[in-house]
Amino acid sequence: MSGFVKAGLAVLVLAGVPFFLGDYHNDVYRKLLLWVTLALGYNFLFGVCGQVAFSHFAFYGIGAYSIVILLFQLHLPLPLAALCGVGLCVLFALAVAIPSTRLEGFYLALATLALGQLFVVVLNEGGEVTGGTSGLANYRLPEVLGLSLRGPAYTGVIVLLLVFTFVVLARLDRSWFGRACRAVRDNPEAAAAMGIDVARTRVTAFTLTSALAGVAGMVYAFVDNTVNPPIFGIENAFLLLFMVIVGGAGRHAGAVIGAALLFLLPFWLAPLVGQHHVLVFGLLVVAAILFKPSGLVGIYDSVRARS
Amino acid sequence: MTASAPVLEVRGLAKHFGGLTAVGGVDFEVHEGEILGLIGPNGAGKSTIFNLIAGTHAASDGDVRFAGEPILGLPPHRIAARGILRTFQHNRPFGGMSLLDNVLVGAHVRFASSLWSIVAGRSRAEERERRERAEALIDFVGLGEARSADVTTLSFGQGRLLEIARALAGEPRLMLFDEPAAGLTPPELERLATLIRGIAARGIAVLLIEHDMHFLLPLAHRVVVLNFGMKIADGRPEAIRADPAVMDAYLGSYAAHR
Amino acid sequence: MQDFLELAVSAAASGCVYGLVALAYLLVLRPTGIINFAVGEWAMIGAFAGYVLLTRFEWPYPLGMALAAALLALVGWLTERLTVRPLVERGAPVIAPILALLGMLVVFRETISLVFPPDPLPVPYPFGLGRLELGPLAGSYQSFFILAVTLAVFAAAWLFFERTVAGRAFEAVSLNRRAAALMGINLSRVTALSFAGGGAVASIAGLLVAPNVSAHYLMGVPLAIQGFTALVIGGVGRVEGALLGGVVLALAEQLTVRYAPIPSGYAQGVPLVLLMLFLMVRPGGLLKARA
Repeated sequence: MSGFVKAGLAVLVLAGVPFFLGDYHNDVYRKLLLWVTLALGYNFLFGVCGQVAFSHFAFYGIGAYSIVILLFQLHLPLPLAALCGVGLCVLFALAVAIPSTRLEGFYLALATLALGQLFVVVLNEGGEVTGGTSGLANYRLPEVLGLSLRGPAYTGVIVLLLVFTFVVLARLDRSWFGRACRAVRDNPEAAAAMGIDVARTRVTAFTLTSALAGVAGMVYAFVDNTVNPPIFGIENAFLLLFMVIVGGAGRHAGAVIGAALLFLLPFWLAPLVGQHHVLVFGLLVVAAILFKPSGLVGIYDSVRARS
Repeated sequence: MTASAPVLEVRGLAKHFGGLTAVGGVDFEVHEGEILGLIGPNGAGKSTIFNLIAGTHAASDGDVRFAGEPILGLPPHRIAARGILRTFQHNRPFGGMSLLDNVLVGAHVRFASSLWSIVAGRSRAEERERRERAEALIDFVGLGEARSADVTTLSFGQGRLLEIARALAGEPRLMLFDEPAAGLTPPELERLATLIRGIAARGIAVLLIEHDMHFLLPLAHRVVVLNFGMKIADGRPEAIRADPAVMDAYLGSYAAHR
Repeated sequence: MQDFLELAVSAAASGCVYGLVALAYLLVLRPTGIINFAVGEWAMIGAFAGYVLLTRFEWPYPLGMALAAALLALVGWLTERLTVRPLVERGAPVIAPILALLGMLVVFRETISLVFPPDPLPVPYPFGLGRLELGPLAGSYQSFFILAVTLAVFAAAWLFFERTVAGRAFEAVSLNRRAAALMGINLSRVTALSFAGGGAVASIAGLLVAPNVSAHYLMGVPLAIQGFTALVIGGVGRVEGALLGGVVLALAEQLTVRYAPIPSGYAQGVPLVLLMLFLMVRPGGLLKARA
């Protein structure tokens, strides 16, 4: 089966699901798809390129807020607004990534943590432009090519986003670029000796995945037709990191499994631990790092190898 | 070797660390298909020279030309892009990748597809072609049986072969070997010598730093001997073997350590 | 001028708290290279210990403080034993314990929020709410208390590193682990001690700041960020750097809030902007290590 056909089938299946689910479950399903999209991108940055960063949700937010502000405050046409939104993400990503290439390991993570927090502060203090602590609401996606994309049709948009993100990242992963990222992760000095521009690879990976997060944010803006600050804070950034670690960093399947599990787990754990499902996540992460760094995907592989 | 222009020309190369002169003005050349050995007792400056050429350290003075173009001061990744690839003395495999992918990283400088073409799915032919070449290289260096092994479980000797395969994947014009004999068993040393001869036979210039004379002298076409950062001899291995200055240098350093 | 001096005293007090958190980072970072982001949660637990021992059980202040510090020293030691040591012994890259500690951050926080009610809990002032005037300087009793305790802790830390055998061992390990081990220094004991020390210092920070802000399970992360910013500003090389960094940060925060023509909510942004700036422009901090 050619890749194109596989992708097409995936889109059909995933987009068909909402027709079998009620409203509430549809909402959960859409959020799940978005989390999986984010996790795929973050997995590429963290798992494949070895960069720990906490800014992924900030870029998600830059995408979400900018599309709303550009469309409804500056009244730009949709294609232009979308392009500008992506452009903004790219600019911010470059502004953070380029100076950070000189920093050792975890210091990049801290710079991005600060960026993430700063973004939320700016949102909270943004007054009229960002809607302050309550955010922006009461807007609707304009018609796209004459189509009104509401309800299950919009789920189709999210599915397209997910498949697009997956295809882009899978292709990059299997190419010289993916290998360069892994080489930089595993041994930057040897990577440079083989001709890889380490700084440029890191900046490219960071900018690319941040831009993808921004695009996801633009799609997110029209899911609930509201955007507000708390979603884009570091809590979710930690959660994303945990998803990728537990699922299995470096593998697309790991991102999908980790995102699905940690997203759905609270629903199942609610009767046991109420709001404190995060405690379970923390324990899972520590357990994963201590006992099975290759995550759930690693467990699956070990089981398969034995049988 | 041939009377053609040298692939690598080193003139007056020097490196000072504060008051200490690690390399005090060294000249030599390497030609296409030639195996040049750089030897000397410990502390003679071989590794420093290696690092200056490979771009990991900045030189204090001198001129290094590769195929006529100056390369001193370029960062390692640009040196590699010009066609100079190296091995590491302490093997540095990429632990999170398959053996084949490790070798393919070596071919990084030979990939021409842009990021756009990758995303558009148009780079598959190039990827396939490079994979085949990498598989052939794995066989060429003698790693065939280990091709599906986890690189972190390779023996020291196998890891050394991986270093070589990886560098060869980049189709270099000049290969730099950093003490390749270190840590190898006699049969592995034999295989290594045959391999290096095979590499030179393909027209690749080889610069080899080594302090194991028994391995180097039968292998190299020419030898440059260093001591205290200066060149004390330059010629064919037979001449070097008989050179009193060389013997002095090695015995001298031997005597100093008694 | 009087205004500025009052601000200076208040900033110094906040700066001391940040400095203590920075010291807690430093104690772990120097010998192990591990950035322990959970120190904020340790400070938070210290504040809650203060609530339990001082507000609920009404113990005398020095006793409560000592026990809180001892408790967190134990927590630090256990954290190292259970989640860090297995990784270090396995030769895992330094990022592994850092991430494991992020997981523990969440575990600590959620455990506290499970055990205690969600509202902020009061922690008493050791000297009450009065004001003190020492010459031109004026501030609350609490501010001066914080200054005094912090100076004592830093003096003790400085003496430890400069004058004791154990302290020199720490230095040796931070310079070169392998060489230190070859010299006979017990690496795991140094690591265990560093985590225990970090815990104790963090708990003191939490206890000192708690009367003003009350013990609340969300107070950890902001403190962790402020403490880390203080560390980056001051530089990792010297113990005094942590305190200097804290004071610089606190001054920057308070001056911004007081004099800058921007909404006060942006005060939270000050440590973040400073952190990013220093990381990008001067990651070594203000003070260089002694050669």
